[in-house]
Amino acid sequence: MAVAGSVKMALQVAEVLEAIVSRCVGPEGRQVLCTKPTGEVLLSRDGGRVLEALHLDHPIARIIVACVSSHLRKTGDGAKTFIIFLCHLLRGLLAITEKEKDSLTLENIQTFERRWKNCCQWKCISQALVTFQTQILDYIIDEYLSRHFLSIFSSSAKERTLCRSSLELLLEAYFCGRVGRNNRKLISQLMCDYFFKCMTSESGMEVFELVDNCFVELNVSVTGLPVSDSRIIDGLVLHRDFSVYCPADGDIRVAIVREIIQPVFSTYRSEFVLNSETQFQTSQIWIMERTKSIMKHLLSQNVKLLLSSVKQPDLVIYYARLSGISVVDCLSSEEISLIQRIIGLSPFVLSQASLQCEISDTASVKFCKPFILRSKTYVHLGLISTCTFIPHCIILCGPVQGLVEQHENALYGAFKMLQQLFKDFDLNYIKKANNQNDTLSPPIYKNSGKNNQLPKSYTHSIQRPYQDTDIKNNDELEETQYLKVHSNLVVSNVELETYIPCSPPKMIPTDAVQTDETWRCLPLENNRVIDDYELLIESNSASNSITENTRIEISYENFQVIDIAEKRSMLPVKYKSVDTYKSQSFCSSSIPAGCVLPVGGSFEILLHYYLLNYAKKCQQLDEIIVSKLIANALLGIPKILYKPKKGNHSFPQIYLRALHTLQTNQPMVSSWAGLESVIGKYYLLTSVLQCLTKILTIDLVINIKRQPQKNSDQDSEDELQH
Amino acid sequence: MLSRLEAKKPSLCYSEPLTTEKVRATLSVLKGILTSCYGPSGRLKQLHNGMGGAVCTTSQSAVLLRNLSVTHPILKILTTSVQNHVSCFSDCGLFTAILCCNLIENVQKTDLTVTTTIKLNTHLLNFCTNYLRSEVCGCRIPVDFSNTPILLCLVRSILTSKPACMLTRKEIDHISVLILRAFLLTIPENTEDPIILGKSIIVPLKGQRVTDSTVLPGVLIEVSEVQLMKILLVRKSSPLKVVLFSTSLSGDFSDPGEGNVVVSDGVFLENAVLDQLINLGRQLVSDRVELVLCQKVIHPSLKQFLTTHQVIAIDRVGVMLMEPLSKVTGAQPIGSLGSISPGSYGSVKDWCSAKFGCKHFFHLIPNEATVSSLLLCNRSDTAWDELKLTCQTALHVLQLIIKEPWVLLGGGCTETHLAAYIRHKTYEEPGSILQDDGCTQAELQLIAEAFCSALESLAGSLEHDGGEILIDMKYGHFWSIQGRVAILLTNQGLSKASYQHPTRNCKNCKSEFGSRSSLLGT
Repeated sequence: MAVAGSVKMALQVAEVLEAIVSRCVGPEGRQVLCTKPTGEVLLSRDGGRVLEALHLDHPIARIIVACVSSHLRKTGDGAKTFIIFLCHLLRGLLAITEKEKDSLTLENIQTFERRWKNCCQWKCISQALVTFQTQILDYIIDEYLSRHFLSIFSSSAKERTLCRSSLELLLEAYFCGRVGRNNRKLISQLMCDYFFKCMTSESGMEVFELVDNCFVELNVSVTGLPVSDSRIIDGLVLHRDFSVYCPADGDIRVAIVREIIQPVFSTYRSEFVLNSETQFQTSQIWIMERTKSIMKHLLSQNVKLLLSSVKQPDLVIYYARLSGISVVDCLSSEEISLIQRIIGLSPFVLSQASLQCEISDTASVKFCKPFILRSKTYVHLGLISTCTFIPHCIILCGPVQGLVEQHENALYGAFKMLQQLFKDFDLNYIKKANNQNDTLSPPIYKNSGKNNQLPKSYTHSIQRPYQDTDIKNNDELEETQYLKVHSNLVVSNVELETYIPCSPPKMIPTDAVQTDETWRCLPLENNRVIDDYELLIESNSASNSITENTRIEISYENFQVIDIAEKRSMLPVKYKSVDTYKSQSFCSSSIPAGCVLPVGGSFEILLHYYLLNYAKKCQQLDEIIVSKLIANALLGIPKILYKPKKGNHSFPQIYLRALHTLQTNQPMVSSWAGLESVIGKYYLLTSVLQCLTKILTIDLVINIKRQPQKNSDQDSEDELQH
Repeated sequence: MLSRLEAKKPSLCYSEPLTTEKVRATLSVLKGILTSCYGPSGRLKQLHNGMGGAVCTTSQSAVLLRNLSVTHPILKILTTSVQNHVSCFSDCGLFTAILCCNLIENVQKTDLTVTTTIKLNTHLLNFCTNYLRSEVCGCRIPVDFSNTPILLCLVRSILTSKPACMLTRKEIDHISVLILRAFLLTIPENTEDPIILGKSIIVPLKGQRVTDSTVLPGVLIEVSEVQLMKILLVRKSSPLKVVLFSTSLSGDFSDPGEGNVVVSDGVFLENAVLDQLINLGRQLVSDRVELVLCQKVIHPSLKQFLTTHQVIAIDRVGVMLMEPLSKVTGAQPIGSLGSISPGSYGSVKDWCSAKFGCKHFFHLIPNEATVSSLLLCNRSDTAWDELKLTCQTALHVLQLIIKEPWVLLGGGCTETHLAAYIRHKTYEEPGSILQDDGCTQAELQLIAEAFCSALESLAGSLEHDGGEILIDMKYGHFWSIQGRVAILLTNQGLSKASYQHPTRNCKNCKSEFGSRSSLLGT
């Protein structure tokens, strides 16, 4: 059976999913309870969990859920928004085609042809979507949106430091959509504490990776206690009890073993021949003596704790107890590898040949003691970390397992979200001179090659006659203002150098303003320098009040392009293209780590506004259509968020106010306290567009009897014979 | 297991599950079951599976909820959270469950939005717990461990609230004294920090009179009569040197490794192992060991050898007794057949044989240890099970008292007092409960009313015999007048001879709110 793939059908499917997830969106969202025939109960507000729990029949629904899952694996956030956004896009598409259909029906074409035509149209649209996603989106984000970005880093001139209050705002907003109302504050506080306790000043991405990989091991869940009993404890809690516990203090050293310490009669693929009874007895005695001597040796190395991934026999346990060595066995390989990563210790290997085994690898622990949680005993280790991760464990309590799991998943997702946020993201796009008023003067290249610190540094300035002539301020004031703004921004001396030659032309009475575009190639060892966006915005608003002309700071905006060394070879080519085709230039910029926007639809409204603006200036039809489509679909999310609000805080009011502030270039004010990650939203947008193109390119859905086969020749031949 | 298979079906979605009539009906059925069990005069429930087999008579939430098959997912969350609560705090399962049902019912009548309800309930809960923990709280009494009447009263109130134990008044007194004694025996004499509590081992003795129950210091090991006769032949000395084996002494050859072991012709490993065992026996004898205890099996030859050398050998002790035995004797469990280091030996003061009912016991009497055996008798199996669970509950509650030495008034007084206090505060100083976040005073009063009436109807469900319930509206004191005979239990509520543990109240309030609000969130 084959069904024609259509947008209508896709929309129906997406609307069903939307009906489910839109209930959980936002701070007023509620929980979804999933049950299985086996009696398991899942309690969740996490869109991803809910969608994956659904048993879906429709192939398009399965495609959508697969897209959501792969998006979540990367970013850990935005499943619900994904579905809502997709739904609005499909609705918008359908509305456009309905209009066109009216004109088509008049022409009375055969249905098949019409469908074919439809397919071509979908293909065009999907191509337009791809172009939009790869080119226009980056441009708009970089050119317009980036000036609204805030940062969670409060950075001084030299180094960035994470601002705790910003992180709290970010996490609180995140957990708003993930956990129940009454536990939100507690969980976000817990996460924030955990984050700061685990990180040192020099911790970087590897901590995120470690937590990401070993999240299960860093958590202990306890049911039956109130959620408020959840806490963070210092050190690592192993999900096992001691086989032998001997209290010890002072210098406690730990050794890891992956095999049974007691020697056995025969090893794998070998044979042990017993010729006499005495031989048997002596070998048993030898085994005992050897176990004893290994234990003695461990003790002489001051090893007081033995961690084993396998079950150790009674004999080993007995001799360990005699020697005063605590033993924890049957640890999972994940736990062992986590411990290894934290303390940088490798397991010791027992040599079969010599009685004296070499145990070179031991590490110190601060303490090792039993830890009792709800009458179950765990092992609590105070590991001394050799990496940048300071071990801490989260103890999550809750009345039922489902609730604890929900919190655990939310915390995991929050870590993924932060992991994305703490990375820089490169934007690449072609900048077209679509502004008709631009008369591009030949670009001037300044090569400050004499500077040794930077191998290459170009200054590219495009002079543009400034349209508005109503600047009535005296130049002096403006100049000081300008310098002040930039002195805040300037990060290295080189930049200052490049700016100074540029600034004089701005001050000439013709009011010509230029855009400075600085490409900088930094050698790899240099840390990336991050603009202080907060300062930029601050100073912009300051300049607003003085100059009363708001377009100035737009043109003063400087793009800082930070390329890593690998891309260096590409750069000359790029410049050539700038040289030859003066109308377009390749730009690469980045969304720096830690970029955030206020929560509550700011990203969507901003992007909506700038996309509409872009569409006005744009000339190509399909670009206009796609931009408008996306711009309108974006509004769907704030609409849902503001649904429960009334009066002055209802969506139309908020929207109008936002547009007004944008048009008059005032800073945006959000009624919500909270921040959300820009990069997360960016990824979400691209994932949804990719998913949509995937759906649009399908023209037939064919129902087959078995699972789609992998390409294997024999199988298909077999099938032919039958 | 085939009946468990279900065809794959597309998912079905329902919205607003709590408001549907079906859920309300099932919830009220569950509430009916739980309420009728509540309190000293609660009714018993008989659980059976219709296919024959054992029938269980109970009124305890732990047993009841474990055996009830609840189908509706929302009720499942409720019952699981109550079960989890009980496994943490042992007591007050019915209290939690009934309050939870009452709250859901009352809150649904108010027509407020879910978010407001959750917010206000959280405030009320915090207000309650703060009040119950504060010094000014009018319904809590400090526990002084030198004052046994309060402790005894607490234990007795736990016992009386479990009518399925089928105890008379006299038997309740007897058992509560035993429980308290067993608890006091677990507290070590030297008070060094941290205090490690000992253990009370409950030894079953069914079919005996309840008043035959007793507490003995040390460990009781059940042995057969024949075995005991042999043991009695052995000369007694005091103190005894004891050795404790955790490994098997049966001469089995375990763990040959992953490869093959080839035994040549004419080699008898049995002989070799037996030689080894006898050597071990010789060492024990030469070390003047007088008692050998083994978790697993001792080889008959070794046993024979030991008995002829006047050493008592008891095997098949079981893993449950190993830890208490090690504690009582100070011996370390030995896991090797090789030479035994002298440090592994332990000692006991004395031993004796004892006969309770038809069972024979070998009784180890320690020098000074925190392990005791509570010999528990009851007439029938099901009543004994109920009594055992009750004793464990009481012991656990007593342990919790050490952490937080406070008790609350029982008999519904705490609930009514709390309700009266909340009512008073919501009308007089709503600001003390209401915090900034946008809830009006009217909303608070609605929710507070729902909350308070849930508490009061919980107190009211203590009365099952058609008696009248009286509540003093000023101080919130609670009476129930049973039938025609009016037993007035007045006197400031203190004479009400039952107490509750405060932590159980505070904490289970919390946990029921956790589950509750998650319910409301759905």
